[in-house]
Amino acid sequence: MHLEKFAWLAETPLADWVVSSGVIWPTLECIHFVSLCFFMGGLLIIDLRLTGFYRSSSTATMIKVLRIVLAAFSINFITGILFFAGNAGKYIDNPAFELKLMLIATAGLNALFYKFSLSYLLDTTQVTRTSVFVGYFSILLWAGVIICGRMITFYAR
Amino acid sequence: MNLLTTLESTAFSEWVLTSMLGFPTLIALHSIGMAIATGLSILVALYLNRFLSGMAEEHLPRFLHLAMFGFSLNLVTGLALFVSRGADYITSITFLVKMLLVLISAVILGWLRRHLMKLLNASNDLYEDVLARKVSLLGIATWVGAVIAGRLIAYVGTLY
Repeated sequence: MHLEKFAWLAETPLADWVVSSGVIWPTLECIHFVSLCFFMGGLLIIDLRLTGFYRSSSTATMIKVLRIVLAAFSINFITGILFFAGNAGKYIDNPAFELKLMLIATAGLNALFYKFSLSYLLDTTQVTRTSVFVGYFSILLWAGVIICGRMITFYAR
Repeated sequence: MNLLTTLESTAFSEWVLTSMLGFPTLIALHSIGMAIATGLSILVALYLNRFLSGMAEEHLPRFLHLAMFGFSLNLVTGLALFVSRGADYITSITFLVKMLLVLISAVILGWLRRHLMKLLNASNDLYEDVLARKVSLLGIATWVGAVIAGRLIAYVGTLY
């Protein structure tokens, strides 16, 4: 995936800061994981609604949950970049990390597909085969992201 | 300690520790279970305490039901991980703190679900119940504490 293009991140002051004390890395891990819980909880509610559950809760409610999901994803993204900067060697040429990035990209495309093709369903109680597929596919993709994230350590070169 | 050492020498423990799939698969499923249980418990607490609004109240116990599924996955994989390295884990301060917090969180999860169901069946307003609000807030603290303690097991020292 040519992640070595981003190896320069390891030369930045940010990278030095991440590994400058024994406290920062574990703190970032704690933030990453707590944020992951917020992300997964909100995502499950939103995706299950696409598949037909919880339809009686309003779209406005789901948009509030979506904001939490996006905020949590942003925190995970930022802490993820800090992990990469602090220990680039662990992530470059790591098949688990590469697959994780691909799954995140696919999940993003899946969400965009819903937004541009099926968002008319948001204000209705209607469910289609496609929306059911999008919902379950999203849950599977993000479960895969978590699995790959945990595998990174085991596939580091 | 003898029991833990015996468990560590079983064929299952050996598979967990030496196969390419054992430990990584269990730890990955453990994380998914944790994220589901913790995430949904926190969201329900946010609704009960009105940090979020608009969710149909009959959905809250269902979220906690799903959280219990996540916790079950977390528990089963956690036990399998413990069997493989119990003698190490049992000497870790952070592991013991995590276990205490997980225990409290699980009790809160089970109680809150039953309590919300009772309120629903009695046609009471879930969002007006002060006890449910306070207990759910305690649940946020214990779940987040358990996640943090779990992450710190690899970093914080042992008892002896």
